[in-house]
Amino acid sequence: MIAPEIQPVIDVRGLHVRFGEVEAVAGVDLQAYAGQASALLGRNGAGKSTTMRVIAGVVPPSAGYVFVAGLDITRQTLGVKHAVGYCPDVGGLIPRATPWEHLQLAARLRRMNDWEDRARDLLERFELGDVAHRVTAGFSHGMSRRLSVILAAFHEPFVLLLDEPFDGVDPIGVEATFDVIADARARGACVLVSTHLRELAIEACNTVLVLRGGERVATVTAGDMAGEEGARAYRALLD
Amino acid sequence: MPTAPFSTELPAPQPGPVAAARRAVADVRHLLWFRSVAVRRRHVAAVALGFFALLTTAVAVGPAYLDGAGELTAGAGSQAQEFLVVLPTLLAGLLVLAVVSSVSSGGGRELLSREHGLAYPVSPTTDHLGALLLSPLNIAWMLQAWTLLGIAAYTFGPQNLWAVQLVSVLWVVAATAIAQVVAWTVEAVRRRAHGILVVRGLMLGAGAFVVLLMLTGNVTAVLDNIPTTSVLIGMLAGQEGQWLKFAATAATLLAVALAAVVLGAVPAHLAAQRSPRDELRAESGVRPARRDVGSDLMALVRIDRGSIWRSVPMRRGLMVLAIGPGLVALAGGLEWSTMTILPGLVASGAALLFGVNVWCLDARGTLWRESLPARARTVFGARVLVLTEWLLVASGITLVLASLRAGLPAAHELAALLATWLVVTVQVVSASMRWSAKRPFSVDMRSARATPAPPVVMLGYSARLAVATTMTGLVFSGMARLPYWSLSIAVAIPFVAWSLGRLLFAQQAWSNPFERARVVMTVAA
Repeated sequence: MIAPEIQPVIDVRGLHVRFGEVEAVAGVDLQAYAGQASALLGRNGAGKSTTMRVIAGVVPPSAGYVFVAGLDITRQTLGVKHAVGYCPDVGGLIPRATPWEHLQLAARLRRMNDWEDRARDLLERFELGDVAHRVTAGFSHGMSRRLSVILAAFHEPFVLLLDEPFDGVDPIGVEATFDVIADARARGACVLVSTHLRELAIEACNTVLVLRGGERVATVTAGDMAGEEGARAYRALLD
Repeated sequence: MPTAPFSTELPAPQPGPVAAARRAVADVRHLLWFRSVAVRRRHVAAVALGFFALLTTAVAVGPAYLDGAGELTAGAGSQAQEFLVVLPTLLAGLLVLAVVSSVSSGGGRELLSREHGLAYPVSPTTDHLGALLLSPLNIAWMLQAWTLLGIAAYTFGPQNLWAVQLVSVLWVVAATAIAQVVAWTVEAVRRRAHGILVVRGLMLGAGAFVVLLMLTGNVTAVLDNIPTTSVLIGMLAGQEGQWLKFAATAATLLAVALAAVVLGAVPAHLAAQRSPRDELRAESGVRPARRDVGSDLMALVRIDRGSIWRSVPMRRGLMVLAIGPGLVALAGGLEWSTMTILPGLVASGAALLFGVNVWCLDARGTLWRESLPARARTVFGARVLVLTEWLLVASGITLVLASLRAGLPAAHELAALLATWLVVTVQVVSASMRWSAKRPFSVDMRSARATPAPPVVMLGYSARLAVATTMTGLVFSGMARLPYWSLSIAVAIPFVAWSLGRLLFAQQAWSNPFERARVVMTVAA
């Protein structure tokens, strides 16, 4: 008997994204699966954030095939947005809205009922409970990052996209983010983490995809990227 | 490794005031160059600047050669004589406008935004000089300056016109520099403990003084005795060839301008040493949670409203825009038929506070917002709603103030005014939404000195809005003089239909994911 093939939750094939003359993503292929956490590694300008934005439904692909949670990103963008929780790489917060107002808006648009307890729990876990009703313009970079992770994970999405979630975040925030990733995997969600921090990526994820010049150059297990040997292998992939 | 100077080491020599001033001037040059290379469509900017220079020359010279120009001795009641009487008020008006504009923008516009300049040693003197240089890039300032130059040319005619206009230009420069000193001083006071209260008290006091003057019928007496009459005497001396008197006026104005430019650096330094309390208060205050709303549209509208009303430059700008023209109209006893000019003026100004780059409200949060499952047309509709209500609130306050002394309107006057209000609001909303999608900018609207687009772009937007809405206001001003209320309604219909049509095109463009992604990526950059 032939075992049924496991379908990827994120299925990207031949993705191209062009901004005028610039080709930000040049033929990326990428598959990520339910209950798995995959790390996207690569140098600046490798196309990691643009790929994440396409999967989040924020930027349309110029060419290629992108399916997320079984939905075609170009035709069922709204459905994809319901399935995805996205933490953008820059800012990601409305400057003159409070964390609570961000959560309230997300809850409304995602049709969440009785969301308040989960919101409070997440804010406490990320140590943002005492600033829940202050506008985010006064937040430090680390606080903004932590709130962005909360907003991405708030509705327990089937696809969790975290772009640079550890950037400028203190150890408590990093641990809370690890917990969010572990919780998502445990409930069967597909997690994609884009970061420059290799050590944190391999701690949080089980698969590593390396992008270079807008293309995927390797897919390896997190174990292969660990330690001195992994660092050397990663360095070789970047050059 | 030593980390601090040894006790016997001398501290590094600090530059003296002259060296510091020289360095500040050099820095202004560098920043101007930096801003100029960032201009996207350089040829368009060059053509626009050439056009403005040509227009200014035409306004300063042309009226001198019109019929009746310079007829100051041709019997009582000539137009030139009437202008001669109002010139001191006009001169003072320019000063008041420059002060209000600089004070409301927290010391004037920035050559380099606070966020971008944080890592560089940009001195407050550089900031002061930059703000001074950017002052003319403001349509209200420009209109006032053009009006002054045009009326001066017509009043005094072609004889020794250069001398008359030299005094006019020197007054414009001096008034702008004085306004900058006042603005920095107010900002320095505002940033002290209880400073906000003191400044608000002063504003209320000034407003109460104007109302008192009106109630006691002393407005004309005060205007007849304002010190700008001496500037007028200098213009007259120039026209009549009394060179000594003319030179004394010109030299005094030049000295005042130079003194104000130098003096402005002092309060600018004082302000820079203190934290902007208004902005800090807005960022650190607690905003209690509110109940959930019943629809996606209202949830988006609520967030957008917060982004507007919690912004210091927007709130402060709205107050100035709404109350300023309203008080002027109240003082001048504006009639209902001429009131049609007000909604367009105020709505244009209100749109320039954020509407011309409406997606900048979300700043870097726009990426996250775009990832939420909301329909593009709902997001667009929410932004149109909040912009419309913003414009209506601003122009509504002005109209209420202006109507206080105008008595009861006739049906045709009221119809003309309401039709203008509706037409200009739709016009401004439509233009703002189109421009916001066509040319988005990444802007941080935290600072009271922030503008939604670069100064040159803002000048272009303000000129286009001013022309469109003023022409509309004039059309309906004509309607208000005709005794048919239905005529205004009939004329309003094609205006509204045209603007709504263009707004629908803007909505369709926003629904295109590629167009939306371009805007989102630019605003979040």
